[in-house]
Amino acid sequence: MSEKDRLEILKDILFTDDREYAERIAERIAILEQTVNERNNLSTKVNPIIEQQLKEFIESIPTKLGPTITATLKEEIRINKDEIVDALYPILGKMIKKYIAQEIKLLSENINGQLSAKGWRRKFKSWFGGVKEEDLILSELSAASIQQVLLIEKDSGILTASYSKTETIDQEMISGMLTAIKTFVEDAFNQKNQNLELIEYELYQIHLQSFVNYYIAIIISGNYSLKSKNKVQDIIFNFYDKFMEMKKSKLLSTELIEKELAQNFENADI
Amino acid sequence: MQISKKIVVLGHFGVGKTSLIKRFVDDSFTDNYKVSIGVHITKKVVEIAADSMSLILWDLEGTDDIETIRNAYLLGTHGVIFVFDVTRPSTFQNLNSDLEIIKKKLPNIPFLTIGNKTDLVVLDELKQLLEHNTISTDFLTSAKTGDTVNNAFLKLAKLLNANAK
Repeated sequence: MSEKDRLEILKDILFTDDREYAERIAERIAILEQTVNERNNLSTKVNPIIEQQLKEFIESIPTKLGPTITATLKEEIRINKDEIVDALYPILGKMIKKYIAQEIKLLSENINGQLSAKGWRRKFKSWFGGVKEEDLILSELSAASIQQVLLIEKDSGILTASYSKTETIDQEMISGMLTAIKTFVEDAFNQKNQNLELIEYELYQIHLQSFVNYYIAIIISGNYSLKSKNKVQDIIFNFYDKFMEMKKSKLLSTELIEKELAQNFENADI
Repeated sequence: MQISKKIVVLGHFGVGKTSLIKRFVDDSFTDNYKVSIGVHITKKVVEIAADSMSLILWDLEGTDDIETIRNAYLLGTHGVIFVFDVTRPSTFQNLNSDLEIIKKKLPNIPFLTIGNKTDLVVLDELKQLLEHNTISTDFLTSAKTGDTVNNAFLKLAKLLNANAK
């Protein structure tokens, strides 16, 4: 037996326990390596911990981050008020429209007139026309109505005559401003013989009908449909014919023109 | 009987066109200068002889080059007021050629030239300066104190009234 063999026997006798211990550690390291390197094994071990941490984090948001987020949002809203209004406007508009339609639907269901001839006519119109009944009610409620008519000299913007259902600010100044807007738009786009025909603002529309020396501005509230526009144009042309006849016959006074305006536009069904 | 007349007020930037109109229409004045953009329209009714006259005042934005005034705004004008600033020679150095341009654009209508801001200068010195530059004005006014403002607009109203008859 060589010296080397004897040394090995001696090591076996002396380090048996340590070797077994080292082998067990090596086995455990192999298992750990397998766990860390294989995704599924790692997920099984780590996911419950992450989930727990996330749960605790989410639960702590209102108390830990809440005040900061609220303060940041408030500041952002304060700084970018216009942008936020712009962004919300279409959404709010739709919501309000939907709400009003819903309310009118409820109202219409409660109205005794449901059984009236008009109600039945509307129902038939809705069934056969494929238009919702609430839409029909809405369009009936928001029918176009002429509020004001201004006969204006085309170049100078001087008001020749007017008819108005309600009091407004100075009509001569309105005529001047409308003329300034009209001439600016027509001049700015440099389109010969093109006229500004409609100005819309919120619930009102201003229909502008141009002739050679004059134009007529009609302020209309409500739903100004194409059908209404056609009717308005018929009334305008009818009035303007009479106005031209008055001019030819030299029977031209503001009172007479305004009387004619009232006769044509006061009870106009558009 | 009431008649209406369109008056355009022209001139370089910051000569006091809007202030003159404000003084004439509202009898007020502010030191806060705001640049007029586009056109602003106001109205004042004045009594001329037995008639009422509605003056529709078109306050056009100031321009250093009179040629660039939007012709569309001048259509149908019955009277013109050209304003310059007596404290800024650059606003009246080319006055005579500016007036020629305007008169070409708006021939045969009553026309007034106003030198404004007289409260900021010595009147005698100003008159000498204008004479030296061969500049003749119809009125020297101060929108701030109100001096001669009404007279200027009423003079134009009278000219318009005479022109209408």
